[in-house]
Amino acid sequence: MNSVTDSPEMNAEDLIEWYYAQGYSDGLPLVPPTPAKIDAMVKALGGDPSFKECRVPPRWGSLTREALAINMVMAGCLPEYAAIVRAAMHALCDPAFNLNGVQATTHMASPLLIVNGPARIAAGMNAGMNAFGSGNRANATIGRAIRLILLNVGGGWPGELDKSTLGSPAKYTYCIAENEEVSPFVPYHVEHGYKAEDSTVFVLAAEPPHSVTNHVANDPQGILDSICSAMSTICSNNAVMGGHCAVVIGPEHARTIAKHGWKRHDIRHYLWKNSGNLWKDLYFNDRYGKIYNRSFPAWYKREPEAMTPIVPSPDNIHVFVAGGEAGRFSAFIPGWGKVSSPVLRAIDPGAEPAGGPVCLDGTCQL
Amino acid sequence: MTQHYYDPRGIVEATALDAATRATSLAGKRLAILDNTKWNAGKLLRKLQDGLLADAGLAKINYYRKHSFSMNAATELLDEIAANNDLVITAIGD
Repeated sequence: MNSVTDSPEMNAEDLIEWYYAQGYSDGLPLVPPTPAKIDAMVKALGGDPSFKECRVPPRWGSLTREALAINMVMAGCLPEYAAIVRAAMHALCDPAFNLNGVQATTHMASPLLIVNGPARIAAGMNAGMNAFGSGNRANATIGRAIRLILLNVGGGWPGELDKSTLGSPAKYTYCIAENEEVSPFVPYHVEHGYKAEDSTVFVLAAEPPHSVTNHVANDPQGILDSICSAMSTICSNNAVMGGHCAVVIGPEHARTIAKHGWKRHDIRHYLWKNSGNLWKDLYFNDRYGKIYNRSFPAWYKREPEAMTPIVPSPDNIHVFVAGGEAGRFSAFIPGWGKVSSPVLRAIDPGAEPAGGPVCLDGTCQL
Repeated sequence: MTQHYYDPRGIVEATALDAATRATSLAGKRLAILDNTKWNAGKLLRKLQDGLLADAGLAKINYYRKHSFSMNAATELLDEIAANNDLVITAIGD
């Protein structure tokens, strides 16, 4: 059991300081757990507090339901968020995500969580104005609970097992929902075979969002060319070793794109085809020696004038619609690179992708 | 009244192992160099192999490469290193 009893009673302020002194905090004050709050959270997780949900690297601590509940309460979560945080932790601990590397890397990557489906609404998540910013309890505390687990159970303490040179603000919380209600496209999880009534978590090891401003284009090409410009830097991990990335399209941009009949796959393919770097630019015209780069796929042309894609496939560009209804902004989110794959996972354990022919926005991909 | 305190760290079931005994001499030893495949690690380790260790009296130097710098070395590779070497040198070299 994690609880320690028969100690002198402290007031709330003293308890906050006590938890700071134990080294359990992300730097912000923790909500002191009480038996009632822990019991309610464990109940929301299905009971059985000793049940082990997953093991969290690089410390490889077992995340029991009680430990999950403690970190969630400390983060300020409500029991209504329990299924989302649990699903997110299962996604992060999927071997494909390589959480061991994400936690320990010198890069600034942090897990981005994007939620789809009715669970967003039930938890009261913000997918609209200031979606990546402050002011919403669910977004703030779901992401914070994940970070506390990565610290306390996974041992990703800065300077110890987290070797990030700079870190990023996304290491406090990095959690949004897709704005399905204003999006002119099918939701992300439906594009990937789930039913609209399913709820899913998507996790990507990622840099913080990079703003894409375009107030002039009245067609898809112009808006997407701006996103291509944000993608086509030589200094992101995607540029030097591929992998996956995310694009968050603001609702105004999304409406303009959709008005011209473009679908999700048109967006992904256009972005992939029209972004990238010349090989010679990536490697400074061989100023530091000739580089083959084993991290890239074998089929990339390693010639000075060859265009090098940002990611190896249009399928590695993950498109979401989020943000407030006013403002002609979108965002590009570089990933950590090919050393981590994003994971999409159902929040309800029974939900699986339907499979079969994929028909989106009235267009069937045969 | 009873106060409750909570530990959020979960359970660690692994058993800590002691570090191997340090070698006091390189003479006659079989040395493994484990390259994590990072650009600068490779440069450092190759210079180490060709320079500092060239006259150390080693019986043999075996150069190994991990599959990916972001992943643990494969179990088979670790077994191979353990079976055929007395010492290992590795580097991060970011």
